[in-house]
Amino acid sequence: MNNILLQIQTDSSNILTYKASNMSCSSFWFWFSLAESILIIFLLFRCLKRKSNLAFSDVSRTEFENEKGAGEIDMGGLMDSIHGARDLYKELSRECHPDKFVNTPQQKVAEEIFQEISLNKRNYKKLIALKDRAINELNLNF
Amino acid sequence: MWYHFIEFFDWFGEFHKRFKIIQDFNKAAEKSWETGKAPYQLKASITMGESAYKHANSKYLTSGFTIKAFTLNPMPNNELKEIGRVILNNQELVRRLVSLGWDTLYIYDSKGKNGCVWALKDFANFGGFLQQKNEDDE
Repeated sequence: MNNILLQIQTDSSNILTYKASNMSCSSFWFWFSLAESILIIFLLFRCLKRKSNLAFSDVSRTEFENEKGAGEIDMGGLMDSIHGARDLYKELSRECHPDKFVNTPQQKVAEEIFQEISLNKRNYKKLIALKDRAINELNLNF
Repeated sequence: MWYHFIEFFDWFGEFHKRFKIIQDFNKAAEKSWETGKAPYQLKASITMGESAYKHANSKYLTSGFTIKAFTLNPMPNNELKEIGRVILNNQELVRRLVSLGWDTLYIYDSKGKNGCVWALKDFANFGGFLQQKNEDDE
């Protein structure tokens, strides 16, 4: 009987030591995960705070979404503008200058066209349209 | 909280749109060069942006829209500036770039000696928010 009781006692002490070691292990992971979650919360908070200070933070998401979903961009027109708009602008501004039409019936039209040319000096398509208008309304030959 | 999942799936859609803009630009530039309209070829790519130019919709690490001009000789800065001004003058393109997460526009020549940089947020008009900077400030 004594032997059995002693056996139980040693077993329970073994279990206790095993539990204690297990506890220390789990507490390590507990503190580790706690530190990790605090770090994540801090980074998220910092990120959100920074975003609210940036430009366009007051712009709604739908406005960005609408812009993303808009039609195709005319890249061919953009290339024409990059490579051809400057020369065309120079040519048009020289030919359609209002000083060339002083005291003529076309003076007002020339002023209008010249203003449009100045506004769209980097838009090749609009400059081409203005060139056509100048040919028709100012009787110019390019 | 659920909308974060939508944002996550949106990211793939955005990725596709960003890639398409780059692809369209490069195709148009190549075509323009091949037909003889352009004296040099342009090539767009995605790079890191300037941290000072960040806005609320900026992408992390991929917010730079870089255009490289392939020329034999180093390109003068005013030529590069002119390319940038034409791009920034295209309001539709600038707004699209900003909405897709770009915040910086770089233009370099292929020699890498000259280059210009602009903050796209200064040229995009969102929600009536227009900060048109003097173009010669860059």
